[in-house]
Amino acid sequence: MDTTLLLSPTEADGTLPRAALEALSAAKAAGGTVIVGLFGAKTGPAAAQLAGTGVAKVLAAEAAPLAQPRYGTDAAACAALARAAGATVIVAPALSRMARVAAGVAQRLGGRIDTHVSALSTEGGALSATRWYYKQRIEAKLQRAERPWVLLVDPGAYPAAAAAGGAAPAVEPVAVELGPELQRSQVTGVHAPTSGEQTIRPDAKLLFVAGAGWTKKQADGKPNPEKAGELILGFLRAAGASLGTSKSLTDQAGEGQKVLEFMTHLNQVGQTGSTPRHPRGLSTCCHGEEPHVVGWRFIRERRAINLDANCGWARGKADVVYVADAFAVMEKVNALLTAKKT
Amino acid sequence: MPGYQIVVLGSIVPDPLQTLEPVATPQGPGLKNEAMLPHVLDPWAGHALYEAANLAAKVPGSKVTLVALGPKQKLQQVMMAVGQKVPFELVALDGPASGFTDAHEVAAKLADAVQKLPGLDRSALLLFGGWESASRGAGVTLQMVGERLGIPDQFFGVDELSVKDGGALQILERVEGGKHQVSVCAGPPAVLGWATGNLPEPKNNPQVGMANMRGVMPALQKAPATPVGTGGVKFESVAVPKVARETRVVKDMSPDEIAKELVEWISQD
Amino acid sequence: MSDENVPQRQTMAVDVACVGFGPATAGFLTTLSRRLADASKPPLESAASPGMPLQVLCYERADDVGFGVSGVVTRARAIKAAFPDLDASQIPMATPVRDEKVLYLLDPVGASRRSVTLRAADKTLRAFHGADRDSFELPWAPAFLHKTDGFVFSLGQLLQWMAGQVMATGTVQIWPGTPVAEALVEGKAVKGVRLLDQGVDRQGRPEGGAYMPGMDVHAALTVVADGPVGAVGQQLDEVIGMPPGHARREWAVGMKLVVDLPEDTPLQAGTVLHTFGFPEPEIFGFLYVHPDRVASVGIFVPSWFESPVRTTYRYLQHYVQHPRLWPYLEKAKLRSWGAKSILESGRRGEPFLAGDGFARIGEGSGSTNVLTSSGVDEAFATGVQLAEGVIELLEAKKPFTRENLEAVYVARRRDSWVEREGQVAEKARDGFQKGVVTGLMGMALSGFTGGRMSLGDEPPHPADQIGTLEEFYKGKIPAADIARIRRECAEKGVPLHDALMDRAGWPPVPMDGQVLVSQQDALLMGGKVQAPPGYADHVVFLDPELCRGCGKRVCVEICSAEAIRPGDGGTPAFDREKCVHCGACLWSCPTRLPGTDRVNLQFRAGAGGLHSAEN
Repeated sequence: MDTTLLLSPTEADGTLPRAALEALSAAKAAGGTVIVGLFGAKTGPAAAQLAGTGVAKVLAAEAAPLAQPRYGTDAAACAALARAAGATVIVAPALSRMARVAAGVAQRLGGRIDTHVSALSTEGGALSATRWYYKQRIEAKLQRAERPWVLLVDPGAYPAAAAAGGAAPAVEPVAVELGPELQRSQVTGVHAPTSGEQTIRPDAKLLFVAGAGWTKKQADGKPNPEKAGELILGFLRAAGASLGTSKSLTDQAGEGQKVLEFMTHLNQVGQTGSTPRHPRGLSTCCHGEEPHVVGWRFIRERRAINLDANCGWARGKADVVYVADAFAVMEKVNALLTAKKT
Repeated sequence: MPGYQIVVLGSIVPDPLQTLEPVATPQGPGLKNEAMLPHVLDPWAGHALYEAANLAAKVPGSKVTLVALGPKQKLQQVMMAVGQKVPFELVALDGPASGFTDAHEVAAKLADAVQKLPGLDRSALLLFGGWESASRGAGVTLQMVGERLGIPDQFFGVDELSVKDGGALQILERVEGGKHQVSVCAGPPAVLGWATGNLPEPKNNPQVGMANMRGVMPALQKAPATPVGTGGVKFESVAVPKVARETRVVKDMSPDEIAKELVEWISQD
Repeated sequence: MSDENVPQRQTMAVDVACVGFGPATAGFLTTLSRRLADASKPPLESAASPGMPLQVLCYERADDVGFGVSGVVTRARAIKAAFPDLDASQIPMATPVRDEKVLYLLDPVGASRRSVTLRAADKTLRAFHGADRDSFELPWAPAFLHKTDGFVFSLGQLLQWMAGQVMATGTVQIWPGTPVAEALVEGKAVKGVRLLDQGVDRQGRPEGGAYMPGMDVHAALTVVADGPVGAVGQQLDEVIGMPPGHARREWAVGMKLVVDLPEDTPLQAGTVLHTFGFPEPEIFGFLYVHPDRVASVGIFVPSWFESPVRTTYRYLQHYVQHPRLWPYLEKAKLRSWGAKSILESGRRGEPFLAGDGFARIGEGSGSTNVLTSSGVDEAFATGVQLAEGVIELLEAKKPFTRENLEAVYVARRRDSWVEREGQVAEKARDGFQKGVVTGLMGMALSGFTGGRMSLGDEPPHPADQIGTLEEFYKGKIPAADIARIRRECAEKGVPLHDALMDRAGWPPVPMDGQVLVSQQDALLMGGKVQAPPGYADHVVFLDPELCRGCGKRVCVEICSAEAIRPGDGGTPAFDREKCVHCGACLWSCPTRLPGTDRVNLQFRAGAGGLHSAEN
């Protein structure tokens, strides 16, 4: 039977990153015996976390220089683990530390790599991978003849592997040569982003898109950007949602109009903006044109509030469209959410 | 300090707003009307090129070379736009730029072309490129070229490079949580896969354009045929994900009722 | 801010600077580059950079060659002369013309504004001849209209192909994404061009460190080929004036869709349909079929169409649904969209073709022939004519003075078929001032008498032709309804045209997301419209007070891309990132600046626009 190696770095405290447990589910979907290869300054706690997950054994490359996420030393460790495992399929989580070396390691092993993998399956004994092309606009399912095959799995593609009880797998240390020529770079620290009203929350369960309609004239013939801002920020706080916008609203902000000052081009979804991942998305006062909606690729459930029953959302782009005044609805939504919390 | 030899690897991709549809071709999957689609220089490769020029301007004796593998006609067209931006020399390889080509084959050809650059000096070499292209979007080609060239100092998702006294390179790479990891590398050779960086897009400058074109046109004329294929890949399906849903249009609910329904939906786990 | 901090305007010297890359410049550079690349002839040396070959630069506004143009079906006489081995299969979307028809379309909807005469004619047609799918095919295509020995092209693809050929010679350079703001004029002489400032805000004010003043490019010869609404052409007309009796009075905006026809379409490549009669009698339309089941379908809305509600897009949507066309288009899929102005004045709108240091070619020089409904080949021909003249002057080492350019270029042009046919067309459409039937009769009359006879008078300034909504809809929509619609639209901040057309009896458009899409979807999905940041607004309302007093806001109604929208306090709002640079606003503004022929809306050079090379 084939051997599948799950390759992952450990955290500074020696535990397994969550994405690695997700990749473990993917590795199991690839079939065959699953071995785990760990590298870092400390690997013990991670091995213990793997108890009862169906892993045959753990190979561990543990060394002080591996405390730093760095190409030279990490790639050497990964190559050593892969050779020790003798695996034909290598699955790894798409953490920045892993993505930095995975392709180079594949090259070093004489293998091939595919990244942004969203699914693995075996049909008739052959392994297939599903991955994205052209910035998540085209999806392909493919098989490769070459081995070893390195597969970098995107976070959120698989659930974390659950422990079903049992002993921790045996741990085999793997020696790695980490000479000074691999340590010409040193990690000196981590910079955190500057704070401000945090409106972009990649881990939020809901994406809230505010469209250009928020700044248009309301029923009384006057625009009300202050109220709009209040309602939008209020919702973000109450629901812990992440804020997205359409291009037209971002542009108005850029013109120095008295609009929603907390919005920047970083909030833009679709067109030249981002394609964020959230399980749900609520679009308000936004027309739902195709170039914007392309940015909703990874939003699973979609609802929209728009006074226009013929907007793009109503034509197959959303699950539900409420033909209503977003000011009125969001006022009530915020009230209900606040009441729930207290 | 002697100047850097900054080699930028990058190719062309369809202009971002174009409609993309996969089609089957004898060479494997391709894009419908690919030859007609307007193309641009891959965005993050473009950032890499501008960062390269920015660095070269600061360090006397430096040179920027763009090595691009793409269809000659299309490269010529894209050079009309890119050529006006920053000074560089072009090495062109005439082959496909499709995202479906195998990254390993492309990396082999690019590594070969880099090694053949006249006067290449590893101790001055900085290999730049985009972290991920807008075509294949895998983020692997540059890394494999670096590996083939035996360069153990590689950085990806780079937003900033600064040269410290003594020639060490301080590099900021994007990591999880919106943060940047800061590394200091003793010096070239090094590989940098750029994200957006912080520089604004250079303005169109006719003088830069005219100077560039003197080298760009001959480079295009002598671009060697560089075929690349899809490697050992068998594509089972290639498709645009389905987007049409059965939309329920709700017209006669009061704001109160809508709010209740929404809050219920939001609160689901 | 001290002068040291403000970047200085750079200068550069070349020999020949071309403004715009369209079919005219394609003709010019194809001819000139062949001479420059011809090793068997003595080299032509640069005067600007001694020791170097002739420095020939072309500056194109749009972000790529082929983005700013649209068309076409053409007899391609001049093009074939320059490319005798032209093989349509080598150029995407090109095909020889195989089948050509002219169709008169009746109105199945009943909302078009037809005169009594026309309605009587329609009745007679139906009664005596029958109307196949509400249309009547003319038994023959009038000789002046036929294109049977020509080609159907995507002009964008054709120009990309030509630009590629020209560039590959290595003797000239074409720079897209580089708008020319103005010519450098001294008296009546042109000394070169000034490129558009970059790194400025929407009002044109420098934005901190990003500011880069547009370079001054000095050139012994400036070739002005910036099309019917180009900024340099407009500037020269104003500064140097127009020849006596010449004025730009007749315009149209052409808007089209490029679609993928369904797999089972019976339409063959090379099919050409010319139509008139629907959606309004004044609106001419077309359907051209390219290879691989691609078709271009579109309409022209003319400046003499009195309606202030000139919504080309909505009319186009009704056009494609006409029973004669809909069976072909019903299951089609939009792939591209675009719009452009056409200068229909022709010979009567011809400016001074040459002066000290400059020459004008292409549509902006009045070469378009509205009778034969062709302009691309004419433009190309004028470019070839200029290049031949320029080569003559360079070889004789003569300067580019007005006299010399008139002798070598203008003389060639006057001696050509472009001039002969242009004279026939000069008054061909004047009849439309009196009505559609008169107009059609006048066209036929001019066409068949070789221009000796025509109907109608010279058209007035387009600003004076636009009536009020109340007049236009008299008898159809009561004034009270119009007032109500004005109010409601003002409250919502939307143009009037959809509400008015709905009220006038035009049915709602059943959007299908495939070929019938919203105007914004057409803009973004079809035209891929974008604009780079750092440039000023290129549509400017000179005196906001005049806008406030304007009741008609035709600019809002006719804007092909909804880039001009109702604004606060009466002055329209302009979104440069949506503008496709069609220029229809320029000739639709009904408000003249007091004492001049100019209007309150200024249409300047700008970057960005359509990003489709399929138009």
